[in-house]
Amino acid sequence: MAEVVTTSLNENQTRAECAVIALEHVSREYTGRGASVRALDDATFSIVAGEWVAITGPSGSGKSTLVNMLGCLDRPTAGTLKIDGADLAAMSPTELDRFRADKIGFIFQQFHLIPYLSALENVMLAQYFHSMTDEKEARASLERVGMGHRAQHLPSELSGGEQQRVCIARALINNPPILLADEPTGNLDQANQKIVANLLKDLHQTGHTIVMVTHDPEMAALAQRKIALSHGKVFCHPIGGPVVSLRR
Amino acid sequence: MFLRLLYESFARQRRRKLLAGLAILLGTTAVTAMLALATTIGDRIHQELAVYGANIVVTPKADQLAVKIGGVDIKPATGGAYLKESDLAKLKTIFWANNITGISPELPIKVDLSIYGGATANDLLGIGLWFDHPLTGGTMTGAPQLHPWWKIEGSWPKGPGQLVVGRALATKYNIHVPMRAGLAIPGAQNGIDDVVIYGILDSGDDSENKVFMTLNTAQNLNGTPDAISRVDISAQTKPEDAFARQDPDTLTPAKREIWYCRPYANSIAYQIREAIPGADAQQVRKVEQSEGTVLERISGLMWLISAAALLAAGFAVSAAMATAVLERRGEIGLMRSLGASRTAIALLFYAENGLLAIVAGAIGYLAGSALAYTLGAHIFSGVSTTHALNPVLLPIVVALALIVAIAGSTPSIRAALKQDPSAILRGDA
Repeated sequence: MAEVVTTSLNENQTRAECAVIALEHVSREYTGRGASVRALDDATFSIVAGEWVAITGPSGSGKSTLVNMLGCLDRPTAGTLKIDGADLAAMSPTELDRFRADKIGFIFQQFHLIPYLSALENVMLAQYFHSMTDEKEARASLERVGMGHRAQHLPSELSGGEQQRVCIARALINNPPILLADEPTGNLDQANQKIVANLLKDLHQTGHTIVMVTHDPEMAALAQRKIALSHGKVFCHPIGGPVVSLRR
Repeated sequence: MFLRLLYESFARQRRRKLLAGLAILLGTTAVTAMLALATTIGDRIHQELAVYGANIVVTPKADQLAVKIGGVDIKPATGGAYLKESDLAKLKTIFWANNITGISPELPIKVDLSIYGGATANDLLGIGLWFDHPLTGGTMTGAPQLHPWWKIEGSWPKGPGQLVVGRALATKYNIHVPMRAGLAIPGAQNGIDDVVIYGILDSGDDSENKVFMTLNTAQNLNGTPDAISRVDISAQTKPEDAFARQDPDTLTPAKREIWYCRPYANSIAYQIREAIPGADAQQVRKVEQSEGTVLERISGLMWLISAAALLAAGFAVSAAMATAVLERRGEIGLMRSLGASRTAIALLFYAENGLLAIVAGAIGYLAGSALAYTLGAHIFSGVSTTHALNPVLLPIVVALALIVAIAGSTPSIRAALKQDPSAILRGDA
């Protein structure tokens, strides 16, 4: 029986109906040199629109495998993974690229800004691979994360926290329904961790679905729900709070 | 953004791009030089081999019919059959007219030569020839041009009263130049009482026993105006191959047209037979085959050098690109995570290499043209016939540079695009 989600929009909607990410018995097996490893084993859970979920687990628990699949960089070897209602298994590689550009905004632990492009150009790069560049929009995205005044600076001229904010601006520029954050504060000092955490809170408040991989209990505590992984198995924690809005 | 990424790839990877560009430049320089030389080497080798004489001989068709009694050919030397000198103008109408570089018609006659104050030489072989006859484009042709090994003491005949005798005759009859003599047809009344021997010919063959006069003089003496019995032709030809040896009349119309439109000695001879009624034109195999063999060997060597140069350039590009792509794996992973398709990323890398190939190819074309010009001058007697710049080669060379750059960079690009972007981003790849 499907879980019932408390939403401010419609009390009667089921969790499955609201799910922006839905996994049904998803497994991912890697084979090589005669042996096979099941990195993710029979995972079933869903994430509804506007939800903030933290994925936790020790190294080798299958977090990266799960994130790769949620980020449309990989596909399950068994089970069904639907993102925004679309079954990834039915998509061609080209469709998957397009889908990723439309639906997922990545926030990386290492920021992964191109060092020879300015902050503004780094944001515009995501526009370029999505559709077409628009400097005004890119500048607005930087201003949204408080980096408007540093638009023309190279990544090497920015602090770690500032680089992460540019990374977040880049993730937001194409207005994706899902933000996938992989240890977003893992490389930041306390002060910058707080800035990024507040930024993620703001984004959640404005209805973004956030899937965040973290080792940091403080960051995990900000999420509404935790999905713990151990040896490829998924343990979903109870929903931590109400979903603010549905954003499809 | 595309141009920005393109610009940055050149600005940031200057050394790698320079190395790849240099490899392409050297490859295209060698190819341009080889192609430029190859386009003119045929002409030069033809000129060099022209010292061995004509490569096509035209005789009257009736002359080809052997008249034998008891196995002995009793047909006279002249055969009694003639071609028309006036028909030689038709050589300018054949498909490969511009490939004909020399024409030497001749009319052999028997003559008696009476040296003033000396002996009379009877039954000598006299040959009427062209000397400095205008061909086309202001060039002159005739026997001296087709027999470059002939050495003349004195000068060639210019009119009806002038003769050249072979060295053997001159020695035998103590002839010096200039010397007056009488010339007549044996047993006939017609002759020229007063001729001047202006030259003595050294040829190293039996021509040293002959008397040479203008073709017109021989025709008048013989009483056969406009008659010639043989024409030596020097033509620029394509080396003979199996297709050249086909009988055109047994080929399909399409193949016959291809055969006809290739400058084989055979097809030029065929066209001469078509143009001049009653003529039988045959290639002189010895000269033709020498020319063909030399050209084939040189062409083969040039192709080998060109292919080796391009292959080396391809490997160099491949090595430079492998490192360049390795350095940019992080970028590739990021682009993939941002939704860039493999095609879009490959296009970016190919555009970088394409641009590099166009620039390096164009410079290689200029360098190769200069090299060909210099080599042409060194190989062929200090005078280069290779044009300084052959614009037809530019697109060919640039296209080859593009092929080398694309082929050389494809393995690295393919390998990079196959990598798992998440592993690249984690730094695990």
